[in-house]
Amino acid sequence: MDFIDYYKVLELSKNASEAEIKKAYRKLARKFHPDLNPNDPKAQQKFQQINEANEVLIDPEKRKKYDQYGKDWKQAGAYQANQQQQSGGFGGRQSYSTGQGFDESQFSDFFESMFGGGGFSGQRRASPQFKGQDINATLQLNLTDILKAEKQMISLGNKKIRVTIPAGVEDGQVLKIKGYGGEGSNGGPKGDLYITFNIFNNTRFKRMETDLFITEKIDLYTALLGGEITVETLDGKVKLNVKPETQNDTKVKLKGKGLPKYKKENQFGDLIVTYKIELPKNLSEKEKELFTQLSKMR
Amino acid sequence: MAKEKFILVKTYCSHTQIEEGFMKTLHEYGLVTFEEKENDYFMNPSDITKIERMFRLHTELGINMEGLDALNNLLKRLLEMEKEVSILRGRLNLYE
Repeated sequence: MDFIDYYKVLELSKNASEAEIKKAYRKLARKFHPDLNPNDPKAQQKFQQINEANEVLIDPEKRKKYDQYGKDWKQAGAYQANQQQQSGGFGGRQSYSTGQGFDESQFSDFFESMFGGGGFSGQRRASPQFKGQDINATLQLNLTDILKAEKQMISLGNKKIRVTIPAGVEDGQVLKIKGYGGEGSNGGPKGDLYITFNIFNNTRFKRMETDLFITEKIDLYTALLGGEITVETLDGKVKLNVKPETQNDTKVKLKGKGLPKYKKENQFGDLIVTYKIELPKNLSEKEKELFTQLSKMR
Repeated sequence: MAKEKFILVKTYCSHTQIEEGFMKTLHEYGLVTFEEKENDYFMNPSDITKIERMFRLHTELGINMEGLDALNNLLKRLLEMEKEVSILRGRLNLYE
């Protein structure tokens, strides 16, 4: 874990009193409490830092070590413990390289007590049984990945889980997977895993829920006289008949050529094609003459 | 009432060690609704997340019942607005 300036986290000076620490902690906890900041991982991270800072600074012994040794306060504590052990008759052959003999469990329990379980415990209470902490994860997918339900492996630290991603998930949609969160405290049930999907649009289409939108250029003559054009869809190219005298910005709906509807089998949105008429450029003398003749006919 | 779908409040409290008094207060303030049958109170399992959230806010931040009510309403509005922003972002994207 990287060094964190606990005073900075609690917005305090180094000589802050216990009352000031408590006050700063309460103020910041109210601001960043995860229950008041749903879907905000930054606030959750900040809240963890605030809790950690409070746990250390509110305890005079831990604070003293932290003030004395700064970022090495944990190792310093371990060193001191070893020194005491040595003077107590265990000396001689023991080595004291950094970290050896350090009671890691003391601190891991300490951090677990802060972050484990369902409670974000700023204050102690009589060990209630709580659901484990919910875990938030983000999964980036391409738009073309959501055309059909797909299985994906997700790594959560050391654990890998296989998740079926339903077709048609929305950007920002959250999928809850029950029981894949943190361990419960005092025998409570496990927390849940919340996966937020970030859908990257790797296509030319614009998306609005299950409908897709695309703009196709057609030349003046096709627009005026009608004709056939080829339009790209998500499942290949299709031919479209352009009606004679088609106006600019005419929209054509291709039913069922959009994205699959979430959890609705064999139901799809539409593809809306907007025609943009391209006028010819660099007209030859002959063309100008013919257009002039045409204009005189109207 | 389909009793089997509900949890006896006493049982829930004994498992979570949340005081029954706290649950009763939530019920009195209308923050959660319990079904009463033969002098026993039953809770809907779908309220567990909400109850635990209110318990954390109450014990960890010292928020009273009136504050919890206000926060519930604000959180509901926040989530609705987040959803709306997401839809509007999608629409705006069509014109970019």
